[in-house]
Amino acid sequence: MSQTRDELALELKNHIIEYLNLLDMTPEDIKNDEELFGPDLGLDSIDSVELIVLLDREYGIKINNPTEGRKILIDVNTIVDYILANKK
Amino acid sequence: MYITDLKCISAQETYSDKFIKGELNEIKEVTYLALEPNYLEFIPKGLLRRMGKAVRMGIGTGLPLVKAHNNIDGIIIGTANGGLEDCIKFLNQIVEYDEGTLTPTNFVQSTPNAIAGQLALMGGNHSYNITYTNGGTSFENTLLDALLLFEENNAQKLLVGGLEEISDYNYNIDFLANKYKIELISTTDLLQSTSKGTICGEGSNMFILEKEAVNYYAQVLDVEQITYPTQEDLKVILTQLLERQGLKLEDISSVMLGYNGDENHKSWYDFVGNELLPNTTLYTFKQFVGDYRTVSSFAVWLSAHILNESISTKHHFIIREKNNSSTSEKKYHLIYNHFDGVRHGFILLSN
Repeated sequence: MSQTRDELALELKNHIIEYLNLLDMTPEDIKNDEELFGPDLGLDSIDSVELIVLLDREYGIKINNPTEGRKILIDVNTIVDYILANKK
Repeated sequence: MYITDLKCISAQETYSDKFIKGELNEIKEVTYLALEPNYLEFIPKGLLRRMGKAVRMGIGTGLPLVKAHNNIDGIIIGTANGGLEDCIKFLNQIVEYDEGTLTPTNFVQSTPNAIAGQLALMGGNHSYNITYTNGGTSFENTLLDALLLFEENNAQKLLVGGLEEISDYNYNIDFLANKYKIELISTTDLLQSTSKGTICGEGSNMFILEKEAVNYYAQVLDVEQITYPTQEDLKVILTQLLERQGLKLEDISSVMLGYNGDENHKSWYDFVGNELLPNTTLYTFKQFVGDYRTVSSFAVWLSAHILNESISTKHHFIIREKNNSSTSEKKYHLIYNHFDGVRHGFILLSN
């Protein structure tokens, strides 16, 4: 049975928490439309590299173009869209 | 140079004043893990989540001192291994992901000088910044550097420290090399042990050192180190160290020795404590914090409190008490330590 969009979003949030070592956070603390690099989560440029590594390792997706990355790594929704469109 | 402030994280409650007021933790584990404070009180969450244990402990002890003291002319850190756990994670990733996309955090955090660098960045201190990685005498080298900077009038106040973390990697490798005991042994029994090996410990000890001071914990007079010595070599370099200070062996009133329950290397401490300095009070310390390559920094932390008479539990560390015949108020206290019999260091303090 294929993974639903909600299941994928939950899995992605768990990976984000693990890869970025977001202390004391649960998937419920990250809203799907919350800006990852906004004031609440406060991620920075090193985290963007970590997210690119995450997509490569967990979903086999490589982001080589920085301009492309800025459009993908906006929030959980945009990343899920990209995974669904490109997952191998 | 003078110790005017200090901070310590160890397997005991040394971050607060519980340990120096008499609260001793009885530990019976294969490793003596550090009791870490709540870092979130002074390290932003966004930075803390990237820090390995060595960096965390270094920032936890160093940053409060950097923030409490103005005009620090340099940050000098001694660590044999730095953030080794993160280093091994990074190396394993290179293999696991076939030299493909690698995460930068582990690499950034794993270099030994990440601690001094983070202290400079977080404390806004852009002065002299250096890290010594000289195995079992890394901390002795920080003191030597500080002494030279003061002597050449290149500094008035420095942050100096020594730290080490227990990583699975260094523990397993050193364990296979018979450096650590197989059996569980408690703090009470460690020094009476007749088996080989010791207990692996970890911790971070930081000091504010000033060229001149009125109020201070202790004065650091001199430091000396040697690699693969004979016992005669030890006697020669100790005599030279004392002569530089215009002192003789008989002037030393107390010695802190690095006895660690390892039958292999006990004879070094017996030689210094019983043959070179038989008429001194002897202190030990590793039964409470374990052994690691920069543990002489903990010996300095403890000695500073003993010399300053700010510790109520010093009888727990005394294995031989002698009433020194000298009526002088000036007391000379020597620290002698080695790691695995390879690198040996002397640190001379006074009150």
